[in-house]
Amino acid sequence: MADAPSPEVEYDQDALREALVEGNAALARIGPILTHLLAAPDHSLFSDEIVARIRGMCRHLAWQVLRAQAEAAGQGGHEPFAERHGEELSDHLLASPALLAHCHALAIEWQLTEKLEVQYGVDPVLSPLVQDLISSEDQNAASAAMAALTAQARFAQTQRRMELPLGELSGDLFHELLLRWRDHSGQLRSEAMIRAETRLREEFDEGAARIALLARVVAGMGADGVRALEVDQAGAALFLSALGARSGQSRIAAVLSTNHRQSTRLALGLRAAGLSAEAAEQQQLRLIPQSAPSRAIAAIDADEARRLLTETASAGVSQS
Amino acid sequence: MTSVETRYLARARSDADGKLVEADELVAQLQRACGGAVGTRIAIPELLALVEKAQAYGLRLARPFEATDGEQRITAWVEISPIATEDGEADGCSIAVVSWQSEDLPPENDTATARRRVEINRHLADCTARLDSQQRLLSVETEAPDLAQFVERVGQKAGKPWTDFVELAGNSHAQPLHWRLLDGARCTVPGSSRDWTAHLEPLGQPVPGNAGFVLYLTADQPLADAGADAAPMVEGPSFGRDLTPVLRQPINRIIANAETIRTKLAGPLADEYSSYAADIATAAQHLLALIDDLSDLEVVESEDFTTAPDRIELADVARRACGILGVRAREKGIALVAPPEGESQLAVAEFRRVLQILLNLVANAIRYSPDESQVWIRLDRIGSRALITVADQGHGLDQDEQDRVFEKFERLGRSGDGGSGLGLYISRRIARAMDGDLTVESAPGQGARFTLSVPAADDLRQKPR
Repeated sequence: MADAPSPEVEYDQDALREALVEGNAALARIGPILTHLLAAPDHSLFSDEIVARIRGMCRHLAWQVLRAQAEAAGQGGHEPFAERHGEELSDHLLASPALLAHCHALAIEWQLTEKLEVQYGVDPVLSPLVQDLISSEDQNAASAAMAALTAQARFAQTQRRMELPLGELSGDLFHELLLRWRDHSGQLRSEAMIRAETRLREEFDEGAARIALLARVVAGMGADGVRALEVDQAGAALFLSALGARSGQSRIAAVLSTNHRQSTRLALGLRAAGLSAEAAEQQQLRLIPQSAPSRAIAAIDADEARRLLTETASAGVSQS
Repeated sequence: MTSVETRYLARARSDADGKLVEADELVAQLQRACGGAVGTRIAIPELLALVEKAQAYGLRLARPFEATDGEQRITAWVEISPIATEDGEADGCSIAVVSWQSEDLPPENDTATARRRVEINRHLADCTARLDSQQRLLSVETEAPDLAQFVERVGQKAGKPWTDFVELAGNSHAQPLHWRLLDGARCTVPGSSRDWTAHLEPLGQPVPGNAGFVLYLTADQPLADAGADAAPMVEGPSFGRDLTPVLRQPINRIIANAETIRTKLAGPLADEYSSYAADIATAAQHLLALIDDLSDLEVVESEDFTTAPDRIELADVARRACGILGVRAREKGIALVAPPEGESQLAVAEFRRVLQILLNLVANAIRYSPDESQVWIRLDRIGSRALITVADQGHGLDQDEQDRVFEKFERLGRSGDGGSGLGLYISRRIARAMDGDLTVESAPGQGARFTLSVPAADDLRQKPR
């Protein structure tokens, strides 16, 4: 039976074939990615820094979950356990578009925050508007602003470390992360994991997360929230929250609209959020100096701008 | 995590079905403006979505929601915490309002208002008719049963103006008037007892109406549907309320007379007859217990069944149950072991109902335990739950039987021992109505342990936490 391949050999060949097909798929992706990277005049959306930040944040998320699991299992060395499984789970988390979009937006926001500090001297944590709100007569507004300030300080710190605490996720993302974790452990889901998950869920408080606190400050300002649309007064964080909330876009969409190739979205967003044509133009030029304000945008009113944004919300940025 | 010092403007609470069970005025007012009430499902669309999400995820959420009360646009910031029962079942959410902004709704422009009105009419109309440019009826379409007569008359005299078929309120002009004057007119339709409003949507360009009209007839009230009509029928004879007292009386007489014969009170009697009488008395007692069970069943299965929780001492209830069933236990030589003197466990529950459950559990234990065995009643506490356990040395239940034992009329294959198969079912319903539960642990040959859990209390304070 020398000429007929044994079943074992055949099996091996199947595996090799599969590996080749996988390889081909990876090679096929090179083209579009390279084209994009070469064609894009700047790489602010995909720079090495952004990629590293996203990877860092995802890995930190995975670490925290695993540490909770090790704690619940009563395993002595929490760190080694997280070390062993962290990479795998982190890769699994990276496969979630929603988590990825969130981390991406945070990385871009941080870049913007740093840029504003260099260009306009806006403090990453304490902007003039936040200062103003903290000294407000309204106790509720003042304490909300104070909490937002603390959260923003924490954000600056963790971004410098390329970290993302679990509590900084929205409820939906946190839920998604836990589901991914479950899915990753598959059949091996142990009592300890269930305990760990219950504890994580109990500890979670969306209201303490920075994005929730910022949104709360914006909501608390009511009609006065237009003030948060002056980026050099409000700081990136509050500006982006206000832009998203007031223009009916997700905060992620608002963050991405500060990219220089999204100037139309930014300008429409600013108009939809309630700025006059002149004020919107001013903010647009401050964020994207090389952009050319469009007459068409100046001509339409806030409702129309909002409608346009809603109609053309793309899949990648419409999710809230 | 930063703790935010917050003064809440209002609080509210929803139950597992999304009903708003309690609400401070701020929220209650908006709920009413949105067409709901305290006690009905949350009518504020975005808030309902948030509450459902918090409950589904089991996560505390903090988000803004927008709503309108018809005059103002409201933007509120709420914190929603899901509440779970001890065994992890979702039990509604608490809602705390952190900020509340209201602004006048911007005046709608006329075109948008007109368009919206047409949309509303289109959706709400019970009857839609097509008219020509002279407002003569061409065709009618309706699903409202009370318009049948109207449709029939139109069919007989097609081509007449629609105003011939309805009675316009307080209008004696020659009809039909210009459509703008008739649009929004109130009218009555022969054959229908409802009040109607007519709306006309002109068709055609450039003069609206030159291609005819669509007539919408909208009633002020929805026709009372069949379900609503049928509802009072359910209020007919009720087993528990009406039949139980009637049945009890004759059965009690049967029992009393049978007992008289059995004990030979009225004179000497052959022993056979005396034991027949004993059978009659037992059967009648069984019948009586069954009637009690059935009327209990009706009570616990009705939607408005509630208990009156109080702070109670479970040890008291246990000793009371042992006292009541002591005689029956001694007849079988079974020792009832009550919690030792001095042991105590406070709970929030209704004394009468807990006693009822415990009597059922202990009676079952006595009934299904071998002679000369023991039945223990133990108190315990796990977290915020107070537990009371009845353990016996009977045959025990296998997994399949444990799954079925709380089902209605489930007898686990037994018969002729005086049970109705309702006791445990009723007991569990009562336990759950008290925010507790009734569970069983057992294995064949190992006896069974039935555990009633209810919310624990820390002291005898009168105010619930």
